[in-house]
Amino acid sequence: MEQVQFGVGTCKYSLLKQFKTMKKYGLFQYLYPCMLFFLFIETSSAQETNPIINASLSGTVLDFYTKEPIEGVTVQLEAVTHSVKTDRFGKFQFVTGQKLPFTITLSNIGYEKKTLVVQTSPTVIELKPKVEALDEVVITGYTVQQKKAISGSIATVNFKEDNLAQADQDFVKLLQGKVAGAQITATSGVPGGGVSFVVRGNNSINGNVAPLYVVDGVFLSTTLPVTGGGGNLLSNPLADINPADIESVTILKDANATAIYGSQGANGVVLIKTKRGQRNTASRINFSTKQGFSQAVNKFKAVTGPETGQLLYESWFNTATENQESLASYLTREKPTNWDLVFPFKNGDGSTDFSRDNISNLPTYDRISDLFKNAYQVDYQVALYGGGSNSNHYIGLRYSGQESIVRPNDFNRFSLRVNYDNNVTERLKVGTSYNLARVGRSNVRNNDNDPGGIINSAIFPRSFLPVFDAQGNYLNHATFNNHLRLIEHLDNNYTTWRNTVNLFAEYSILSHLKFKTSGSFDYTSNGTRSFSDFALSNTGAASAGNNLIQVYTAEQLLTYVKSFGNKHDVNFLLGNTINVQQSQNVGASGTNYIFDVLREVSSGGTTSGTSSRNENRLVSFFGNAGYTFDKRYALEFSLRADGSSRFGKNVRWGYFPAGGFIWNVGQERFLRDNTIINGLKLRTTFGLSGNQNGIGDYDALAVWSTNAQSYLDQPSLSPGRLANPDLTWETTRQTNIGTDAVLLNNRLNITFDWYYKYTTNGLQSVVVPSRSGYTSAIRNYTEISNRGLELTVESTNIRKPHFNWQTSFNISRNRNRIEKIPQEQTLGATNRGTSILRQGYPINSFFLYKQLYVDPQTGNAVYEDVDGNGVVNYADRQILGNTEPNFIGGLTNTFNYKGVELSAFLYFTQGNHLLNMHNFFLVHGGIQNGIGFDPRQLQRWQKTGDVTDIPKMTRYALNPEQNNAPANNYTGQVANLSSRYLEDGSFLRLRNVSIGYTLPQALAAKLKLYRLKATVSATNLWTWTNYGGLDPEVSAQSTNQNTAGYDWATVPQPRTFEFILNITL
Amino acid sequence: MNRIRYYINHIAIGAFALLTFTACESFLEVKPTNALLADNAIYDAKTSRAIVNSAYSALKNYSINAALNLAVLPGDNVFFAGSQSQNIELDNGAFTVTNSAIVGAYSANYSLINIVNWALAEIPKVEDPTFATGEQEKLIGEAYFIRAFAYFNLVRSWGGVQLQLQPTTDLSSLGAIKRSTVEETYAQILADLKQAGSLLPPDDGSTRNKVQRAIVRAFRAKVLLYAKRFDEAEIEADAVLQLSKYSLVKPYVRFFELPFLSSESIFELSATANNAGTSGSTWFPASGTPRGSYEFRPSNEIVNLLNDSQKGGNRKALLATRGTDVYVNLYHTVSPNVNPGYVIRLSDLYLIRAESRLRKTVPNINGAITDLNAVRARAEAALYPTSLPVVAEVLQAIWEERRLEFAFEADRWYDLVRTEQAEKVLGISPNFWLFPIPQADVLSDPDLHGANNPGY
Repeated sequence: MEQVQFGVGTCKYSLLKQFKTMKKYGLFQYLYPCMLFFLFIETSSAQETNPIINASLSGTVLDFYTKEPIEGVTVQLEAVTHSVKTDRFGKFQFVTGQKLPFTITLSNIGYEKKTLVVQTSPTVIELKPKVEALDEVVITGYTVQQKKAISGSIATVNFKEDNLAQADQDFVKLLQGKVAGAQITATSGVPGGGVSFVVRGNNSINGNVAPLYVVDGVFLSTTLPVTGGGGNLLSNPLADINPADIESVTILKDANATAIYGSQGANGVVLIKTKRGQRNTASRINFSTKQGFSQAVNKFKAVTGPETGQLLYESWFNTATENQESLASYLTREKPTNWDLVFPFKNGDGSTDFSRDNISNLPTYDRISDLFKNAYQVDYQVALYGGGSNSNHYIGLRYSGQESIVRPNDFNRFSLRVNYDNNVTERLKVGTSYNLARVGRSNVRNNDNDPGGIINSAIFPRSFLPVFDAQGNYLNHATFNNHLRLIEHLDNNYTTWRNTVNLFAEYSILSHLKFKTSGSFDYTSNGTRSFSDFALSNTGAASAGNNLIQVYTAEQLLTYVKSFGNKHDVNFLLGNTINVQQSQNVGASGTNYIFDVLREVSSGGTTSGTSSRNENRLVSFFGNAGYTFDKRYALEFSLRADGSSRFGKNVRWGYFPAGGFIWNVGQERFLRDNTIINGLKLRTTFGLSGNQNGIGDYDALAVWSTNAQSYLDQPSLSPGRLANPDLTWETTRQTNIGTDAVLLNNRLNITFDWYYKYTTNGLQSVVVPSRSGYTSAIRNYTEISNRGLELTVESTNIRKPHFNWQTSFNISRNRNRIEKIPQEQTLGATNRGTSILRQGYPINSFFLYKQLYVDPQTGNAVYEDVDGNGVVNYADRQILGNTEPNFIGGLTNTFNYKGVELSAFLYFTQGNHLLNMHNFFLVHGGIQNGIGFDPRQLQRWQKTGDVTDIPKMTRYALNPEQNNAPANNYTGQVANLSSRYLEDGSFLRLRNVSIGYTLPQALAAKLKLYRLKATVSATNLWTWTNYGGLDPEVSAQSTNQNTAGYDWATVPQPRTFEFILNITL
Repeated sequence: MNRIRYYINHIAIGAFALLTFTACESFLEVKPTNALLADNAIYDAKTSRAIVNSAYSALKNYSINAALNLAVLPGDNVFFAGSQSQNIELDNGAFTVTNSAIVGAYSANYSLINIVNWALAEIPKVEDPTFATGEQEKLIGEAYFIRAFAYFNLVRSWGGVQLQLQPTTDLSSLGAIKRSTVEETYAQILADLKQAGSLLPPDDGSTRNKVQRAIVRAFRAKVLLYAKRFDEAEIEADAVLQLSKYSLVKPYVRFFELPFLSSESIFELSATANNAGTSGSTWFPASGTPRGSYEFRPSNEIVNLLNDSQKGGNRKALLATRGTDVYVNLYHTVSPNVNPGYVIRLSDLYLIRAESRLRKTVPNINGAITDLNAVRARAEAALYPTSLPVVAEVLQAIWEERRLEFAFEADRWYDLVRTEQAEKVLGISPNFWLFPIPQADVLSDPDLHGANNPGY
């Protein structure tokens, strides 16, 4: 276990424990070989130049390690304003009256600055890449700071080509496994589908737990473009952003970093910086295209017709036996109306066959194959970027189309980004960011979880039931629609138009004092159109709707940064923002159609319409002050005051202070020249941040509503809500202690953080007595804590002229706990109440009866009788797991050999549980009259001595309190909430592996290209898990953050292969 | 110089910030556009009419959804073939404290009571000359009737309940109100009905979907039947049966044919295209037109009874067949769905009078048979023999008649409980004849003292 010794002292023990736990779960054996990332191989040394005397100077600039030429390096001759830049071959030339030797300074972003005396011409100069260390510059919200001056916990992900090789179309999915402490779960495998993003654990029960997203200073609206039935989160509004336009994403995690976002920062802040082009670089055009296809890794399964017959027969037979009756007499007595469905066995003469001779004649119809397809995807992008002496620009244009692996849904996005900055004068800079996106989601299935949904209609009907009748018409069975009817007739489309615009001006009042003013808006139009033709609805039904969401932000910022002497650095920030969010909704629907080829609402015989409007406003003032002494000690303090229109007058203003302290140990004399420890920083922060999302805009106000739900179409008026003048935001206080270390010749970077978050005044919908006429009221009540550890290790394992191996690894752990709650609440699984909110336990705990075993003698399930009173009842229900993993993390290895780049990214989560609702619905023992079986039902107990965890088939329902009674096998409360459906959701996934080849520059130049790269990429190539469902990365009820971890009729994550071509002119 | 400019800038910005700060209080006042900001919004004739209308609307929604589910699913006329656990529980008579159908019905009644309590507290205070003569009293009378109706829903489903008679102005002023006994609850219902009867204007000749004096009397007859006060029940039923406004329609099917509101209908909650009625989609088969989910299916037993010409007569029109699927066709309109909620029909009054005549202090067995046969004759079923009748047999025949006559209306479960047959017929022990009070209420309402109905 010596591998963990790089860990900083305090975390060593817990890490060791974590790894041991992982080993227990079998995960470690897979991680072990990947973790050998500190094999260090020494690098070669630099070379020097020969003297020749000349009046002009020419030369080539190369990368120190790769020996590849560097373009765009600024070469500055000493004492002269004149400077030149290297061309694409790294060459530069001066013609000057001066004579050799020259003193020149070379600088380029990403490289260490170098000043040297040149004796000869031509010359070759090598630049060392800047190591990503404490000198790195990081966006911290409103400002940019050097990493070494930051006390908070901030993580940055640079979006490079190998990130973008992953097939996902939204940047949130691309962040998964890249940032310690950010738990990102794709809730469905639909392109552009839902993603849940939680930074450092759930803070809230009723408030939103998603972070605040800010792109180039614009606060983004995250209203869902598609909402649907069954609680499934169907869409991610952030898929509107083209990931290829993103330069980096910064995640602010701790209180000091987020306090400056005040009442919006408690869930963390995600800052997105888009590409802007660089001044004084040549204009380039980049073309890239991706072509690929996706497949389902696993598909749903159903038993065959004869197997279904056998299971049904057994179910009826066992029930009759338990009823102490013959099968014939029991069936005749109990005979339900739909005989053919529940007991489909017939003799040749059509009479009922009680001796099951004809079971093997039952046919089998495959519905599931109709569901899946090979899904294709295409992607084209053009980007134009560069800059003159006063301005810089980036223009990106992209089209992406991606089909879902489950028919008939697809996703497409067209996006245009224009970023432009202009230095009008020495002191004044103006700039704009403009983004336009059109996102289309066609043939969206809103209700896969409902009986009318496509997946359900394919997996639920019994497999012996035909899809079509003799005339070729679609047949429906039980409550389920015909899957082909839905697939072939679905017409349900969503279109989002999004404009995100920012305009700013920055003026240097004094050399150290800058004023920045910025105005922005994010304007989203979510449109929907759908039509159900006569195959889908009786008389046709159309709907059309539009939701306009506007977010306006005005921001004024004054910054002052100055050093006094060598020892004192101060900075001040003073700012004000005004934020207005509006949403306007209109909808129309029509029914009663004569023709179903006319699909407009207005073509219907009966039409209706609706509209609504919401608005909230936020006014904020904030300030931040920092002082650094001798680059060794730094103190930071910030304060934000927020006034929100959402809250009661009495409590409208909130104040969120935070502070931090840094000890830059690496700058101390005893470490300054240490060759092993190149940098070491200890930091701590404490502060408050707030959350006001998740409640309605007017929830503090008493309202009376009039609505269309009235009697005989007359106006109606009823009390809508009681006043709640004390309603205010949730407050989260957070302590963070962390360290950043740079070791071994800048080749190993380690960041470690410990945090403790405690949320008070948590927004909670509190149950009130029904006799009040209300069922619940929103209150500030709940208290929740989250504590955790985060470790990030980045290392350069091998750095040789033509070979480079880099590893990046992160692992984090969060422990969530409800500290105070008004009353227990069970929820989830459509009122079955399998999840619970209980004091002392994490949110998303599963509350179930524990099935101990299936009695080999009787075939009945035996449950744990917790209170030992001999009966199984409510008191025996227990919390048997939750959806919170012990660890999540990611591991990326990147290898470069000459032009070849290989990158492999593994993502893992360990220790979380999932409730496999497929087993709940499709392993039902025969009680569900209209539903078929999953193959797992075949493992049921059949005869004395069988050892299995699936009890015998039975419909028997009497005596549910008796343990080891057939009534608890499948019917009633106990069986409904059996731990039999609970499974370990741990997995390790090779999320992406890509191999790319960049043509050597000389060859590229012959083709008149600047650069050409071809990449082959595979996403979700391999997954290790013990989970029995299709895909362990699933959350079918995730529109409610308190009912995570359900697997139920969800599109699994696809396996995707892509070819990517990247050409730069 | 620079330093001075620096200070000037600072002061200017500080002053700007201060100004903004004071201006933003009004900036932060944002009002909703679809709801009225008020603690109390009833102040004139329009708002008085609107709140009573919203009580009707809530009453209709309750009658077409919750009332129907609670009455038909636990009974033996309908079985549930879908997958929603709350309905499976109702169908199996396995009521749980968190059953969402039961919880929803309980809170829906109190939500309705709160609306009516507002009407009763505020409408009398309104002074508005635009009220028509007697309109203000009529609105109050309707409100009293609707409150009685909601408490009747509660008492027959949950037993004696907490009598909330004041509007909820804020949660802290809910007041300590203990559960009443069943008798106290019936007394409150009858008191409200008395108020309603005295405030309503005389009946017109046509209205069947808004409260009339006759509706109050008919409903009073039903309440008295449930309260087992048969002598009074007979008087009330008799009074309504004397009215020329009402007559049984023939054939049976006519009462549920468009345009509804037949002469047999005493109280019917009408639906419109914009405010839909009882949905047929749970009853229709899954294939064919109109298509439904076929989750509510007629039981084998009721299918046989209705198809038996001696017993069902032309009431077999309640059923229809598509392929091999036999389904209920009572709620048959689609697009728009304007199936009304049937609350009281004249045949109910005949059967109430029949049962009351049998069970009153001095039984009138022949009168009872006459009433029973009025219903059977209309249905073209075999008449009950008038020779040598036995009281117990006639009573059983009346109960069986109710089962067929109101097969798929909101009646059967409550009837089986009222007549104490639920154990014999359904195998459900008397401990579970009342639904459980929702767990959330038991936990959140100190006045319930943590206690539920027996058996839960």
